[in-house]
Amino acid sequence: MHTLIQGIILGVLTGGVYALMASGQTLIFGVMKVVNLAQGAFVIASAYLAFSLFTQFGIDPLVAVLITTPLMFGIGVVGHWLFLRPLRSEDANQLSLLITFALAMLVEGILSMTYRTTYRSINTSYANKAFDIGGFSVSAVRLYGFIVSCVLLIVLYIVLQKTRFGRAIRATVQNPQSATLLGVDSVRVKAYGFGLGISTAAASGSIYGLLFPFNSGSHYDLISRLLSVVVLGGLGSIGGAVLAGVIIGVVSSVAAVTWSPTWSEMTFFVVLILVLLVRPQGMFGRVERGAL
Amino acid sequence: MNNINHSNSGVLLKLTDVVAGYGSGMVLKGVNLELKKGDVMCLIGPNGAGKSTVLKTVSGLLPPKEGAVVFEGQNIAGHTPKENLRRGIVHVPQERSLFPGMTVWDNLLMGGYLIRSRKVIQDRIDEAAHLFPIVTERRNTHAGSLSGGEQKQVELARTLIFDPKLILLDEPSIGLDPKSRRLVFEAIRGLATAGRTILLVEQNARSGLAAADQGAILETGLVRITGVAATLLEDPEVARLYLGASTMTRPPAKTQQEN
Repeated sequence: MHTLIQGIILGVLTGGVYALMASGQTLIFGVMKVVNLAQGAFVIASAYLAFSLFTQFGIDPLVAVLITTPLMFGIGVVGHWLFLRPLRSEDANQLSLLITFALAMLVEGILSMTYRTTYRSINTSYANKAFDIGGFSVSAVRLYGFIVSCVLLIVLYIVLQKTRFGRAIRATVQNPQSATLLGVDSVRVKAYGFGLGISTAAASGSIYGLLFPFNSGSHYDLISRLLSVVVLGGLGSIGGAVLAGVIIGVVSSVAAVTWSPTWSEMTFFVVLILVLLVRPQGMFGRVERGAL
Repeated sequence: MNNINHSNSGVLLKLTDVVAGYGSGMVLKGVNLELKKGDVMCLIGPNGAGKSTVLKTVSGLLPPKEGAVVFEGQNIAGHTPKENLRRGIVHVPQERSLFPGMTVWDNLLMGGYLIRSRKVIQDRIDEAAHLFPIVTERRNTHAGSLSGGEQKQVELARTLIFDPKLILLDEPSIGLDPKSRRLVFEAIRGLATAGRTILLVEQNARSGLAAADQGAILETGLVRITGVAATLLEDPEVARLYLGASTMTRPPAKTQQEN
């Protein structure tokens, strides 16, 4: 029983980070109907950025989020302008898969050249610290990562619900023509929406770098997990992505402690296949045409 | 931008020989139309005659290939919807145009998207609520859970947040039950009484003309007849050709190939 609860705690903490990564990806799908296969690559790129900022300047990876988040936002906006904006709307759904995959390759290539392919990890002073909470051991890195993820998810929620920009994004998601008729510049909203989605990779990357060793190819593993999370949550639903992140985090961590760590890796794909078979629109998704 | 002096003062919108269409096919083949400030004009005609296309060329959704769209003395043909919105032209499309997952209130705020002052938006919402009390009664309801008639009222209220000089309404009564339909036409009369200028497209020709000051009949991309709405309603020739026997007009068979 103790092991099970320990597993659940670990799962919730890890799930919070998946929730943050997946919320960005599902937001991009909601705004642009683009399944962004480069989301994992941007998370790994952010992990490298955090690694550099830590080793070169001694900036804590969780503080580095303040630098990397706006940077990733900018990269997202520019990336949209260069690669996605030129797509004609009728081909966008199909081609965007190829294009975001190519973007992932590009990011991976740049990272391989800059950092080589050796595995890196970020070893902060608190890397091996753990708290004892009610008899359960909670690793400091996971706890801090969870807190940062929650704060950023709340910020994202407020941006989307309470600001003029957030309303424009939601309006574009729900009725693009009507949003245009009310004066929303859809190209700009898409660019900023893509930037906002990519910007969630920044903090996720810092936390990922603290938790796991990574190299430039780590994004393949990551993107397949992220796809499981967003598909379970329902493509386009941020609330769904958050819940799915926590659910999958808990399931895989419980599988690891009660069964075997090998099966923990498998849970993502078991969930993905089950959801696609049983309820392809996910928990909160609407049935979409032409996507995926 | 060429400024054209309008000889006839009081004319808000004037279309001259407007040609427009999609791809190579031309839907409008030289439309001429004149709308006075404060008037409600109802555009009727069979399916495929180009009624909605006229509205799109005015709001900027579809730039005309030829001809002039003169609004307040300025040729706005080819200008973007956003530019025209800033001029005061609001287009309510035929499809449901609310954001279903947003509250009525957020929908109204979107109506003031281009207005920076929250105070101005708030005042306009208060004004709109006089004509459409539903917007305050149901302000926290998700728009998608309102009935079709209620959604239309919110859509009309939302146009007022912009304090428009010209409202383009595309088939506001489509898909509504008779009671909601009546409410919508009452609302249009209410807007007219409040001094709004409206260009209305209606498949429901009799109700549309009854709510309008002026009428225009569009057929195969050309304006065939214009006149005072009440006169058109009583004209037996118009009634026979365009209004049908009941209030539900069906397009004459000969014009269907136009689609």
